[in-house]
Amino acid sequence: MEQKAEEEISNAFPPSSFSSSDLKQLLHSLPSNALNHFFSLGVCVRCILRLFGIKGPIYASIDNGSVENPVDSTTSNETKLCNICLGILQFRFYDDKEKRIFQKDTAYDVALLIADMVRQDGYQFDSFSLEVSIPPLILQNEASLWSYMQSKYGSEPWFREKIHTGCVSIKDALKFSLINPLEKLLDCKSSLCPFRIRLTYTHTKASEGVAKCSDNGGSCKRRKTGESDSIGEGTLSSSVEDESFDFSKLFPKSENEPCNFSYNCSRTPFYFGGRYLKYSRNVSQTRWIIDDERMGEASVEEIIGIKVLQACGGDNYKFHAAGREDIDVRMLGPGRPFILEVQNTRLVPTEQFANDIEKMINKEENKLVRVNNLKLVGSDGWNLMREGEGEKQKQYAALVWTSRPLKDEDFQQVSSLKDLKVAQRTPIRVLHRRSPLEREKIIHWMKMETVAGSSQYFLLHLCTQAGTYIKEFVHGDLGRTHPSIGSILGCRAEILQLDVTDIKMECFLT
Amino acid sequence: MSDRITEESNSSETKELEQKQDKQKKEEEYEDEELPKLLLSDVQTLPSTPPSAVESNFAIYFALDFMKPRHDQYVYRHANGLCVIGLAPSHVAFKDEGGITSTDFNVGKSDRSGVKVTGKRKKNAQHFESNTALCKVSTKNDSYIVRCCVKGSLLEVNQQLIKQPELLNASADREGYIAIIMPKPVDWLKIKPSLVNLEEYKKLREVS
Repeated sequence: MEQKAEEEISNAFPPSSFSSSDLKQLLHSLPSNALNHFFSLGVCVRCILRLFGIKGPIYASIDNGSVENPVDSTTSNETKLCNICLGILQFRFYDDKEKRIFQKDTAYDVALLIADMVRQDGYQFDSFSLEVSIPPLILQNEASLWSYMQSKYGSEPWFREKIHTGCVSIKDALKFSLINPLEKLLDCKSSLCPFRIRLTYTHTKASEGVAKCSDNGGSCKRRKTGESDSIGEGTLSSSVEDESFDFSKLFPKSENEPCNFSYNCSRTPFYFGGRYLKYSRNVSQTRWIIDDERMGEASVEEIIGIKVLQACGGDNYKFHAAGREDIDVRMLGPGRPFILEVQNTRLVPTEQFANDIEKMINKEENKLVRVNNLKLVGSDGWNLMREGEGEKQKQYAALVWTSRPLKDEDFQQVSSLKDLKVAQRTPIRVLHRRSPLEREKIIHWMKMETVAGSSQYFLLHLCTQAGTYIKEFVHGDLGRTHPSIGSILGCRAEILQLDVTDIKMECFLT
Repeated sequence: MSDRITEESNSSETKELEQKQDKQKKEEEYEDEELPKLLLSDVQTLPSTPPSAVESNFAIYFALDFMKPRHDQYVYRHANGLCVIGLAPSHVAFKDEGGITSTDFNVGKSDRSGVKVTGKRKKNAQHFESNTALCKVSTKNDSYIVRCCVKGSLLEVNQQLIKQPELLNASADREGYIAIIMPKPVDWLKIKPSLVNLEEYKKLREVS
C-alpha cells in the first residue's frame, strides 16, 4: 500500500501547475451538502479533500493563507484548528525545541525545515523514505468520522462509489503534501530505501483518546505497517448508525491544542560479512572488562568495528561471530566467519569501500588481527552464518606435553581413533556461569606430529564437533572429561598452546 | 557490436578465473609452508616439564590441621571463584598401611553424592559451612572426615571416588579431588587468612 501511494506521488505533476482557482473549481465539483456540512463542523480543507478520496499534488500546492470558504467566499477554516487532524494537515504544530507553536502556510515551508535538518547531519543519500507517525487519538477520529459519514450519507450515490476507494488517510495526505517539495529540496526521488526521514506527531490528550476505544467497539484498530487509504470498510460498529449521532460529542472543542511535531532522519543498518584471523594470544574476541580493567591488550570486535565505524560515519556497531575462541587461542587458517552490523551510517558503503577497509585493517603495524573477504551482505548473510552452527566441525592444532616419552604405537593408536565419543562435564573454568551438565562430543579424527628434538612434546591435530572443549580433552579437567589424551595414552598430558586451524563453514569464503 | 560485447565478457571471465586460481595457489602455499611455521613459532623455549593445568589455572592453598591434627587438605581456587577441595599429600590418612580403601559421601544429614545442582544459577545447591562434613574416607583400620574448608554452595562431589577410592592413593591432587564449592566473595576473604600457600606448605610440612 505504502509503495503504491509513494509511486503515485512521485509520478504526479509539479505543484506549480495548480492554482487557487483550480482549488475552487475542485471544491465546487464535490457534493455540496456534505461539503458545507463538513465545513461548518470545522474540518480543514485538506481533510475535506481527503474525505472525498482526492489524491495527488493538490495537497502540496494549497496555500493556507488563500483558502476561501466555498459557501460564502469569506473566512476559511484554516484559522481554526481542524477537529479531525488537529492541525497536522494545516501545518500547525508545537515544536519542543523552540517551545512554541508554528503555523506554516504551505507544504514547502514545512519541507524547508525538514530539509535543513537532513543537511545538518551530513548524510549521503540518493533517495529517501518518508515515514509518518500520528497519535492514536487522531486515527480514532478518522475511524469515527468514516462511520459517521456512512450513517449520514450511506444512501447517496456518490458515497456508494466511494466505498470502493475510501478516504485518503491523514498519513497519505501528509505525504501527498510533503513529498514533492522534499524531492525538490533534497534533489532526489522518494522511494523505499534505507534512508528514512521520520515525522512524529504526538498529542498530550492521546491517552485519554485511547480510553474511548472501547466505546467504538474495536473500530480504532491502528494498522502498524503501511497506511491504508480506505479506512473502516464496513468493519465498524453499527451502534453509531442507530443513534442520532452528535458529531460535536466525538470532537470536544476543548481539544484545541495542536500536536507536538518532531522530525529526524536515520539510516537502517548496513551489514558487513567476512572472516577474521587472530594472530595474537593476548587479544580477546569481544571487549572484555573486569572491575574496570581490560583483559588482554585489544579485542577483535574493536579492531574491526572501530575502523569500519569511522570509515562510514556510523553511530555504533554490533559484532556477531560464528562461535568464539579463548583469548590465548589463535584463530588461523581461513578464519572465523563474522558479521558486523553498523547503525545509522552517514555515508553509503559500497563493495569498493569494503575492499578498502579490509586493506586498511590488514595494513596495521601490530598485525594482531586480519580480515578476509570483507563485503556487504544482505539478510541472507545471517542465515548463512547461523545455519548448522552447532553441527559444523572445527579443526585445531594443540601443542601437547606428556609425562612419559612417546613411541610409535602411541602415535598409531591416536590416529586410529575415528569419531571418538567424549563425555565432557562442564569445565571448571566455565562452571561458574554455565549449567553443570555432561555433554557428549565427538572427536572426528586425530593426528600427532612430532616436534623436533623432543619425545615428550608433540603437535596434536584434531577435528572435532562444534562445542568441544579442546583444552579439557587434553588435560582431562581432573578426570571430568573422559576419555582424554592422558587417559588414552595412560599418562599425564598438558596443553601448552592451542590454535584453531579451520572452521568448516561455507560462508564468506570469497 | 554484439561480438565485441561477448569478447569483453569472455576476457573478464578469464580474469576472474585467473584470480581464483591465484588465490587457491596462495592458500595451498599457506597450508604447506606458512601455517606450520606459525604453529611451531614458539618451540625454541619449551620447558622440560611445563606447569600443570592446575598450576596454571588455580591459586593453590592448603588448610593444615583442619579441626584435627594432620588433617591437611588443599583448596585450589580458580580465577572465577570456584574452589576444588581435596586431600593434601601430608594428610594423615595416607600414612595408614594400604592407603585409602573406601569413601562414603553419606555423612552429616544427607548423602552428598545425591545432590542435583541444575542451571546457571546453581539451583538446589546445598549451603555448607567450612566445618561441614563432605565425606568419610576409610583405611584398613581407621576413618577420617573430610570437610569443606570453605563456606559456600556445594556444586559437585567426585562421584568417581565411590567406585574407585584408589584414585585418592594415586592422584589425590588431580583425579582424586573431593568436591567443588562455590563461595561468596565475602566468605572467601574471611577464610583466606587461615590458609597457607604452596611455598609455606612445603616449608611447614618439609615436603620438596
